[in-house]
Amino acid sequence: MNTISRKLRNMTAIAAVAAIAAPSFAAADVTVGVLVPLTGELGEFGAIVAGGVEVAVNEINAAGGTSCGMLRTVIADTGGSAEKGIREATKMIETEGAVAILGPTSGVMVALVDLAKRRQTPIISPYAGTITLDELGGDYVYRTVGSDLGDGAAAGLWLTEKGYKSVAMLVQNEESTISPAQVARAALEEANVEITDYVIYNPGQPSYQAELVAVLANNPDVIYLAGGQESGVTVMKEAAVGGFEGEWLLTADLAVPQIFEAVDPRILNGRAYVQLAEPDNSLPAYQTFAAKMMMETGAAPGPFAANSYDMAMLVALALEGSEGCNGEAINSAIRDVTVDGEMVSDFAAARDLIAGGTNIDFEGASGPLTMDESGTPAGSFLIMRAEDGAWVSEKFYPATVFE
Amino acid sequence: MTIYAIIIATLTFGAIFSVLTLSLNLQYARGGMINFGTVAYFAAGAYAYAIFTQEPPSGLDQYRFGFDMPWYVGFLAAGVASLLFALVTGWPTLRLRGEYLALTTFAFAEVFHSLLLNERRIGNGSVGLANVERPDPTTLGMSDTVGYALAAVVLMLVTAFVFNRLLKSPFGRTIDAVHDDEIAAQAVGKDDARIRLQVFIISAIPIGFAGALYAMITTLVAPAMFTAEVTFFVWIALVLAGEKTIVGAILGAMALVLFQELVKGVPFETVRGAQIAASVEEIVTGILFILVLRLRPWEKLSKRNAS
Repeated sequence: MNTISRKLRNMTAIAAVAAIAAPSFAAADVTVGVLVPLTGELGEFGAIVAGGVEVAVNEINAAGGTSCGMLRTVIADTGGSAEKGIREATKMIETEGAVAILGPTSGVMVALVDLAKRRQTPIISPYAGTITLDELGGDYVYRTVGSDLGDGAAAGLWLTEKGYKSVAMLVQNEESTISPAQVARAALEEANVEITDYVIYNPGQPSYQAELVAVLANNPDVIYLAGGQESGVTVMKEAAVGGFEGEWLLTADLAVPQIFEAVDPRILNGRAYVQLAEPDNSLPAYQTFAAKMMMETGAAPGPFAANSYDMAMLVALALEGSEGCNGEAINSAIRDVTVDGEMVSDFAAARDLIAGGTNIDFEGASGPLTMDESGTPAGSFLIMRAEDGAWVSEKFYPATVFE
Repeated sequence: MTIYAIIIATLTFGAIFSVLTLSLNLQYARGGMINFGTVAYFAAGAYAYAIFTQEPPSGLDQYRFGFDMPWYVGFLAAGVASLLFALVTGWPTLRLRGEYLALTTFAFAEVFHSLLLNERRIGNGSVGLANVERPDPTTLGMSDTVGYALAAVVLMLVTAFVFNRLLKSPFGRTIDAVHDDEIAAQAVGKDDARIRLQVFIISAIPIGFAGALYAMITTLVAPAMFTAEVTFFVWIALVLAGEKTIVGAILGAMALVLFQELVKGVPFETVRGAQIAASVEEIVTGILFILVLRLRPWEKLSKRNAS
């Protein structure tokens, strides 16, 4: 008898805990999942992406929401892990009823392709440039950023235009860094720029001296460093200690302001450049977005913030442009709202045009969003230089340069 | 609905990792072998499955082989790959004991990881093999998640059943004899090196199958998914619920995955909330681990059952 009552007591306790753990659904009608890395090497980017989505959702809801109702976001951390990404995405779709998943990084995005198609839930990334998606994307799988191939082309073009005679390439052993590096290398070879070294290194090492010895011995004009935040910081510090006095071209992972806290600004100021997919800051749509971002968060938009804002806008407009309120409906209309129509950059105006039966071509804060077969827009790129402990614009390459 | 999702995720991933803890239980608690390279056998199975079922390379692919075979061929290949890897790594290492064996198996796993990462002709290097082929459970009238949860549980139960029968057989008593007193076992004619290798190989096969199932569920195999973190997760699960029992090995893995799911079960609508939850998860896991080891609830439970 005691055993039974103990079991009952235990079960009651478990049920109580479960009841507390169970979520209370907000009174929103459309849920969008935001699946980003909030921990790990890309944690800084995850917070920026989630912040960009938040600004868009606030704007959409302030304008009265979509015809399917107000938007609600649920946010989860992947830590950059494909397994965690699948677990969280499944939960978002099954439990929270998410109609779209926004924000996965390259590796997670690739792992979610099958899930997105099976569950008919679009996944959209603002920074997954991986060339794997050039083949897998296009149906339920979209991006608001250009492919890594464009990234490499931009780096190659800038290094050539800058007139460097010799370039060493240090590339982290990851797909997102290797594929653009290969494109950049081809561009440099075509322009007859000497490539003194092309070194692929594994991240997570306490030191990169072994890789740097050969690179520094050849005394290149510039080092193209395609690395993550952890490895990149160590490489730059060790190269400075090793006597490197040339310049740097860094890739997007190192475009965060925190880099000036991790690396002595004397190593960076006037000598380091960073290249990243970036919208045209002169576009009115971008300036409006930047002002909103500043008003809501008190900070200027970080890398990929505009692309993140555009993801949520695309989902909302696709809901307007379709006849349903689910992932299938979004997938059916997401391309239609970005091509062959009246140019518009404001959600409320776009919604009214759609309601009036007018086709729209939504130009986002990150620029034109017309997608190719793989669900990828043509990307524009920005080179920034380090100056007084901050990144400032150096050169902008619009998407038309790479067409 | 939240509880349902938590249960399904716990059963799916808990059962897969249980297969690893069951195998580790056989190797360590009964065979006396400390294997710190469990993840390598898991990866061998996952990669073998992906390579056998993947289409031949095209376009931007850098891998050399893709045999485009049905999933069941890939599944069998996963078991065989893990077996062969255990044979190759077990033969030279099992002469070692204790921490020397632990370090050697760990080194083998790191070498294998490095090979997968740097030799792009195996599985596209750091990119991995994406869109891995998998059977569709909906053809059997069940949902996708339920189908794979069921498959994982079946694999776990079959592994537990086979290992249980094995340990209760004369071969199991030989394993115990070798573990308890190697010299005495040798004195009665038992070849301890051979028995240890057999245990090592037998326990690796289900890990390979678990790897194949993991590849089917994630539809991606990439080196970043098979790091030492997996090995330590499995070890923690084994230690958490007490060694030497099959039920303990299963409960440990299930409890760890359940805990992860409970923490993530709460939907966060703000970035800050999600950030705090992500940070807190690892801290709380560590504290719980310390508490469980300090309080040793399984010992109290077994004493209560005995009395």
